[in-house]
Amino acid sequence: MGFLSKIAVRSPWLYRINAGSCNGCDVELATTAFIPRFDVERLGCKYCGSPRHADIVFITGPLTLRVKDQALRVWNEIPEPKITIAVGVCPVSGGVFRGGHSIEGPVDRYIPVDINVPGCPPRPQAIMEGVILARELWLRRLEKLEAGGGERRAALS
Amino acid sequence: MQESGVYITLAGWAIFHLLVFPGGLFALGIGLFLKGADRKLEARLQRRVGPPLYQPFLDLIKLSGKEAMIPASAQRLLFRIAPLLGFTGMAVCAALLPVPGVYAGLPDMGDMLVYFYLLPLPAVALILAGSSSSSPFGALGFSREMTVMFAYEIPLLLVILAVALHVGGGRGAEFSLGRIVEHQLEHGQLGFNWELIPAFLAYLFFLPGTMGVPPFDIPEAETEIIEGPLLEYSGAALAFFQMAGAIKTVVVLGFGVALFFPGTLPGGPLVNILWFLGKCLALMFLTMTLVKAATGRFRVDQAFAFYLRYPTALAAVSLILVLARL
Repeated sequence: MGFLSKIAVRSPWLYRINAGSCNGCDVELATTAFIPRFDVERLGCKYCGSPRHADIVFITGPLTLRVKDQALRVWNEIPEPKITIAVGVCPVSGGVFRGGHSIEGPVDRYIPVDINVPGCPPRPQAIMEGVILARELWLRRLEKLEAGGGERRAALS
Repeated sequence: MQESGVYITLAGWAIFHLLVFPGGLFALGIGLFLKGADRKLEARLQRRVGPPLYQPFLDLIKLSGKEAMIPASAQRLLFRIAPLLGFTGMAVCAALLPVPGVYAGLPDMGDMLVYFYLLPLPAVALILAGSSSSSPFGALGFSREMTVMFAYEIPLLLVILAVALHVGGGRGAEFSLGRIVEHQLEHGQLGFNWELIPAFLAYLFFLPGTMGVPPFDIPEAETEIIEGPLLEYSGAALAFFQMAGAIKTVVVLGFGVALFFPGTLPGGPLVNILWFLGKCLALMFLTMTLVKAATGRFRVDQAFAFYLRYPTALAAVSLILVLARL
């Protein structure tokens, strides 16, 4: 079974949640990290349109009041086991929007963030390193799941 | 007593054809390999490295271990049946597929009309999935799928008629796929026959439409209606859709090879399996990978108009030429 986990983590499907980002990090995610120069498809990654298909989820933005409920709802629709990566400085601290009247962040008040990729916006190399770290974390979780058996959600949190 | 023995042998062979070769394992393996080659070639066209060739196998293993969710407001029974419907339909199609020089198909069952009815099954499965998932995007996707499906089935029917009448040669139409292959091995391949070249071109146009690759990926447009009917599927159910898609790739490509280029090479079955695979790969590169890497996406009305104009006209030209010679 450990063998199957090692195979499974070689097919991470990515999904993006924009939680009130200025779009800088999104542009960086959508284009820079996925052009020929940095191609993450060689790691088996693929962007999927539906949260139900995702394994690794990127969250960008400081989590504004207006998108909070929707962002949390979409995050809850991603099947376990999932890895959450916060991209940019906004999910960590609010960034330039810190202290704004509509800012509900930081994101980890509501969502257990696994990996932070700080930067405004982060460099493509940093985003790719985040994906690689996420794969390792995912593997550790799958192994823990196998060892523990039984309760999926409990073992994952 | 002897008769029942014959029937048992026949049933045994039918099960073998359905589960091992050319249906089941063989078709699934080749289909996943073709899908992987498609992703790799597309990446190379865009000067990327791309995923490994066996990536679709990894995806399937990953999906089988994921949590499978069913939306609370979905039609549960239909939602569960839909992926199996597409998969079984394609598995049966693959079992009837002739691999020239290796396997002649089932001459009394492998009929082109059977294909005409079974080929839309994955699309029907998508329609069921979209309508039972209770998601507005699913509903949008299924209405688009129905529109596009009606458009691309018409050229397919004309192509089938043209080939059947040509092979029948005045004695009526010949719909058996096995006999069509036999006829071509004796009288030359139809892809080199000037009467049927327009039909072959129409079939090339039909391929990207039925496989739902850009510019005809309208029902599953992931950037506008977030994968439409597949939106609510996760885990093993999604894996079944992927497997159905992989087998469908082999079936539609193999059907094209059987209709137009079933030539064989001297040598054993292994050489001919590789030759078949090579022809499938070439056909896929021409009609799916190149097109996908180079185009955007049509609107649904544009795709509809496109299919009713060019491929239908091409197939109709072939049909008229064939009829004129009878």
